[in-house]
Amino acid sequence: MIAGLVLLGGGVAAGAFGSLLGLGGGILIVPLLTLGFGVPLREAVAASLVSVIVTSSASAAVYLQRHVANLRLGMTLELFSAAGALVGGLIAFMINEQVLAGLFAVLLVWVAVSMARRKDPPRAPVDADAAEVAAPDAAEVPAPDAGMGDPADPALVLDVAPAAATGTELSFTASLSGPGYEVHRLPAGMLGSVFAGVNSALLGVGGGIIKVPVMHLVMGVPLRTSTATSNMMMGITATASAVIYLLRDEIDPFIAGPIALGVFVGASVGSRVSHRIDIRILRWLFVVVLVYTAIQMATRALTL
Amino acid sequence: MSASAPGSARAGAAYGLEALIARLLVAGLWLAMGLVLVGVVLMLATGTDPLDHGAIPPFDLAHIPSEMLALRPAGFLWAGIVLIIALPIGRVMVAGVGFLAVHDRRMALISLLVLLVVLASIAAAIGVGV
Repeated sequence: MIAGLVLLGGGVAAGAFGSLLGLGGGILIVPLLTLGFGVPLREAVAASLVSVIVTSSASAAVYLQRHVANLRLGMTLELFSAAGALVGGLIAFMINEQVLAGLFAVLLVWVAVSMARRKDPPRAPVDADAAEVAAPDAAEVPAPDAGMGDPADPALVLDVAPAAATGTELSFTASLSGPGYEVHRLPAGMLGSVFAGVNSALLGVGGGIIKVPVMHLVMGVPLRTSTATSNMMMGITATASAVIYLLRDEIDPFIAGPIALGVFVGASVGSRVSHRIDIRILRWLFVVVLVYTAIQMATRALTL
Repeated sequence: MSASAPGSARAGAAYGLEALIARLLVAGLWLAMGLVLVGVVLMLATGTDPLDHGAIPPFDLAHIPSEMLALRPAGFLWAGIVLIIALPIGRVMVAGVGFLAVHDRRMALISLLVLLVVLASIAAAIGVGV
């Protein structure tokens, strides 16, 4: 019974910290399960993918209701991220856990550096959105009923393509644009999505740390829309690899269940209290934890 | 945003589609979390140690209902996990039908292709498992 409660508590903590810091659950859950509880890495990745789908579905519901995510662009890119996840899910069973642990250590360092370089947004409520979108691997999980009654703001309608609005026929890339911005370099977005999908399936993370910069910096999509669209895409991307883990009997329901439930609760709580907490101290503390975890994971890679 | 009548209708349809998908995700997520919660409570009540319960119980979709009727924790946990994994698939299916309804054939085709990738994952998993 104690182990079950500890797992549930671990999920709550991972969800809450992930939500507060704008990180996906995977970057926390996989080390927690492997280094903290001795779960084999592949099982930890599988459990993490289930939690990634939970966080993606919760945040996608809110973002779609508020018309912040670009549904057309997201669905186009998720075709490629899901294909990448299919490949990654198969590769995961071909390489040994040492290599996976080494790759995860690299990812942890990458996230730690990204967090260390992130600018601190002022704590005023008006900048809440900036804090949210500044997180490349954001998997914010607002309460599932949050914003459900919000009236749609026409200024935020991003998924109605210009072609749809004007009735004229545009190129496919242009048809993915939203009001106030045009989508560019779709092939680069496709390539980035494939890479994010492979990364997600191999390491059990959302892949937002790749998708958000590609969409924002390369494709010209506003940061807030990029984050919302990336969060939406994570669900089907993780599903494409989760079914492989499921059918290969690598998902342990006694681990994945409590962790997913804990992440759901923790992320909901985290998103509700985030405006009351000074994230800057928490973030720097977390950078230290990430670096320490990266060293532990690298050690595991070398000694397995 | 000024829009022609057909454009307005299509924009309205997009609003409706997004709202429908959002409702589907919220309802599905609460149901899935409810099932997982029951599974976790049963797991705790039966004293099952999640970190030391032997081999992973094999996934068998056909046995989930009987496991649930027998109030076994694995049945509820599997049901919740399957629903969680199915949610994004449902989201893509609803979006695909919605795009078809507004005659957006390109996006409907993309929705279909996304579903085919998931099907390919299932086929590959079964193939690899053989």
